[in-house]
Amino acid sequence: METKDVIVNVGLKKGISDPEGNNIKKALRLLGFDEVEEVHVNKYFKITIKASDEDKAKERVREMAEKLLTNPVIHDYEIRW
Amino acid sequence: METKDINVCVLRIEGTNNEQEIYDSFKRLGANPSFVHLNEFKSLENFQCLMIPGGFSSGDYIRAGAIFASRIRSRFWDDIKDFVRDGYAIGGICNGFQVLVELGLLPGFSRSIGKVNACLAENDSARFECRHTVLKHVGPNKCVFTRALPENEVLVIPSAHAEGKLLLADDKLYERMEKNGQIVFRYCDRSGRTDCGYPWNPNGSPQNIAGICNEKGNVFGMMPHPERAFYKENANGHSGKVIFESVINYIGERF
Amino acid sequence: MPDIFEIDLNVSEERLKGISEETGTGLSLDELKVIRDYFVKEGRNPKDIELQALGQAWSEHCCYKSSKYYLKRYLFNFDAPQNLFVIKEDAGLVEFDKDHAYAVALESHNHPSAIEPYGGAATGIGGILRDVVCMGAQPIALVDPIFFAPPTTSSELIPKGVKHPKYIFSGVVDGIRDYGNRVGIPTVSGMTAFHKGYLGNCLVNVGCVGIVKKKDIVYSRVGNVGDIYVLAGGGTGRDGIHGVTFASKELDDDSQVSSRSAVQVGDPIMKEPLIHACLEANEKKLLTGLKDLGGGGLSCVVGEMALAGGYGAKVTLENVHLKEKDLLPWEIWVSESQERMMMSVREKDLNKVLKIFRKWDVPAVVIGKVIQEKRLLIEWHGETIFDMDLEFLTEGPMYKRPFKKVSTRNENVEFGEPEDYNGTLLSLLKDYNCACDDWVVRQYDFEVRARTFSPPLVGMENCETHADASIIKPLEDSERGLALTSDVNPHFMVLDPFWGAASAVDEAVRNLVAVGARPHSFADCLNFGNPEKPEKMWEFVQAVQGLAHVISKIGATFVSGNVSLYNEGPAGACPPTPTIMGIGLIDDVNKSVTTPFKGNGNLIYIIGNTKDELGGSAYLRYRGIAGGIVPRVNPYELSNASFSLIELMGKGMVISCHDISEGGICCTLAEMCIGNEIGAAITLKGKLRPDKELFSESNTRWICEIDPNDRAEFEDGLRAHQVAFTILGATGGDRLRMAKDGKMLVDIEVKSMKEAWQRPLWDIMG
Repeated sequence: METKDVIVNVGLKKGISDPEGNNIKKALRLLGFDEVEEVHVNKYFKITIKASDEDKAKERVREMAEKLLTNPVIHDYEIRW
Repeated sequence: METKDINVCVLRIEGTNNEQEIYDSFKRLGANPSFVHLNEFKSLENFQCLMIPGGFSSGDYIRAGAIFASRIRSRFWDDIKDFVRDGYAIGGICNGFQVLVELGLLPGFSRSIGKVNACLAENDSARFECRHTVLKHVGPNKCVFTRALPENEVLVIPSAHAEGKLLLADDKLYERMEKNGQIVFRYCDRSGRTDCGYPWNPNGSPQNIAGICNEKGNVFGMMPHPERAFYKENANGHSGKVIFESVINYIGERF
Repeated sequence: MPDIFEIDLNVSEERLKGISEETGTGLSLDELKVIRDYFVKEGRNPKDIELQALGQAWSEHCCYKSSKYYLKRYLFNFDAPQNLFVIKEDAGLVEFDKDHAYAVALESHNHPSAIEPYGGAATGIGGILRDVVCMGAQPIALVDPIFFAPPTTSSELIPKGVKHPKYIFSGVVDGIRDYGNRVGIPTVSGMTAFHKGYLGNCLVNVGCVGIVKKKDIVYSRVGNVGDIYVLAGGGTGRDGIHGVTFASKELDDDSQVSSRSAVQVGDPIMKEPLIHACLEANEKKLLTGLKDLGGGGLSCVVGEMALAGGYGAKVTLENVHLKEKDLLPWEIWVSESQERMMMSVREKDLNKVLKIFRKWDVPAVVIGKVIQEKRLLIEWHGETIFDMDLEFLTEGPMYKRPFKKVSTRNENVEFGEPEDYNGTLLSLLKDYNCACDDWVVRQYDFEVRARTFSPPLVGMENCETHADASIIKPLEDSERGLALTSDVNPHFMVLDPFWGAASAVDEAVRNLVAVGARPHSFADCLNFGNPEKPEKMWEFVQAVQGLAHVISKIGATFVSGNVSLYNEGPAGACPPTPTIMGIGLIDDVNKSVTTPFKGNGNLIYIIGNTKDELGGSAYLRYRGIAGGIVPRVNPYELSNASFSLIELMGKGMVISCHDISEGGICCTLAEMCIGNEIGAAITLKGKLRPDKELFSESNTRWICEIDPNDRAEFEDGLRAHQVAFTILGATGGDRLRMAKDGKMLVDIEVKSMKEAWQRPLWDIMG
């Protein structure tokens, strides 16, 4: 069966504070990168799946994102096919 | 029932690492705890209390508690729902609290059990912090894990976590929890004030929330570790022991 | 491409040198000649895997070839009645009580941490845990002494190929935190020291203590002919190839790129069940031997276990489970992939052992068996690719390397008295070497397992001060405890390696005594430069003699240790650094004593003599003066004073106690005031000039807080052992005041001292 790499990119929802991002912003500025305005840290999952039926596979990946990869209270996600 | 007959399931998978001290806490009080590895778990039938210990279940990869929660959900979700409905007790400490939130058992409004409407997010300091925190018992004694502790009593309990900031899906839910008496512990300062900031509140949790229970009061989670302060008596004579005494006393009376 | 090469050693000297370089084995010309002679006798040339195995076994890291002569001569001649099994294995075993022993191990992970601080420090923890587990012991505490160049080092001073100390420092702490916390063993003690000599040579030492029932002790040797070798844990991969040869040479500016494969990747979530599974199999008496895979990987563990049992081994190499395909046989044999343990098992117990590992989701495979003849044979898909005499392979060379005395520094230094004592005190409290290290300590879970009776930070919540030693209460039903500390002052060491090393032992003893524990055993991690340089070898030999000077008189010995040489980089060698881990025994943890003052109106005593010993002190460094007399140690005085104080503490007579170290009396009192925000009023009575009396770092001294009602009994107790003491003043108020000859020297609010002391690391590290 054919396999396919799918990307699930998980980030914090707008308005949720991102302490890790803020910390990295501070570190970058300390290193002299004064132009840094914002840093956001996302999680990027590359999932290799067996996929014969594309629509069905997309639905499965969405389920993965909702059941495990994200917490809907703080996360947004996007699936790149 | 008698204390010695109270069976406590201390659930473990790879990376849980506070199970021994939870076990010891129940054992010292005369109850009958046992370790159950998720791989060997069969059912909750003979247990009256389920404890999810702290640690880094599955490395806390993806999100703190997320993998453990999804594995519990796929293995015995119906069993858990019945357990809660029948009034048995579930407690989660630190990583265990994170697991209960990821399972949707906490805040656990009765009409939406299993719906994930909270998250224990990364500390404002963006780092793991080990610190003795002062907690105020603010609940109206609804929670079965704190019924032996009078309202407004203060306890010093160690905290050690990187994700302990309780965020709710909707700001209105804070009011709802307050109204339902679901907020059990708030971080406070040495004088007992609960409007203090860091480092008294080590993670930036809104309204200084440190521990909560479900609407029924039989599911409870807190970030600080009462099992690490089992013997550390405060001036008021209470120690972390009171959490375990409370739930044993509840089960003994109720069943 | 063939998997196996034959290497012709009957070639010119020039060519032999080339072979050492091309194979990356790090063998010297003389060593290669010895190997050539061996194979001439065998009537053949070595295979690549054999030469690689020799490179591992004969590395400095594995066989201590430069250090063992001097260690045996000066340091290993002492014994103590509590020692059960020491020096010979990965961890030393010492008696805890009738039924229990504790295991002690201390190691360095310096080279990997300089290249990749996060992974290097993390795998250091993994390694030390395995050292303790392989004695059958449950790890109960980790200790992390770490050494860096000052985080304020200007970027222009950093040579090519060296990373900024701030980056290294923060990466090392992250690594220790993420591994130690995840694996669930508390990091309860440690030290953080800064000296410019650590630029490019950070030192990351890590110690571990475990507890074991005497009946469950297992050794790193096979049981009998026919026993099966079972390899358990993570797969074997290319990570960590040539880790030991890498640890046995200087880092050059190219090391940053080319040495990546020598750094392993840690997986604490494999380690945690691996520990459970090994301990469970051992408790069920299913193992005849247990050893961890550390430096040298399989190549060291299989042979060492066999030889220690008096046998040989035959290995089927293709059975080893791999992380990635296509590893060459020699790579499998020397890989240092983490999270692996080797067991020897009687054939009849094999299935029981494999079942336990299945329950814990940990891979375990059979890779060979024990044979009668003391040889090591390896088969690769039916072909014998390795056949060597085990004694020749494992023993390795021993060198008596020459040393040359380095010109001693000026001991007579002149300087004037400061005008502003308040300002001087605040500056010393802000010195990174004296300041509060809670930026580091709070990132570690120091209370997981709930057996930490007294943590590294003590006092009121969010006001805590440094503890001298942390106390672990290992057993549920016994009040007996172990106190842990780690110490060395690199500033002393640079000026005088003999007295610096002696001072390190003195400080470790002081710290244990300060909490009420009697010194019970020690471990040493000797971090030095290139032993082929006579001046560096001199530092090493001086330090070893300095350690012996004190250890010979205190009723406890070194039970375990590690030597790390070649700590040299583009910016030079590291300061000679013999890190000492001290383990103390306390019969009743409830009688232990902590640092902060507890009440008003109590008497403050100083125990011991204050001398004009300011060489390497925080005060002279602040004044910019190099030189001075490094504090001396009189081991008899140390022993008497320790015995006497422990006795008085056992009677409950000491309310608080703190040893006097960096910053002298002045900083010690400040730290005691800070923890509970209680002030003190002091009058100095010594003969020294006030600044010398306040800031001297003479050894064998403590400050104690005593109830005035106990005065007579306390003083009688000290006199009975000829221990020197003086009353300095009393506790109370919210200021620290110090006067001499009617003149007020220091008068400052406790809150201002706290602010100055607590902020520095948070401010620079964020």
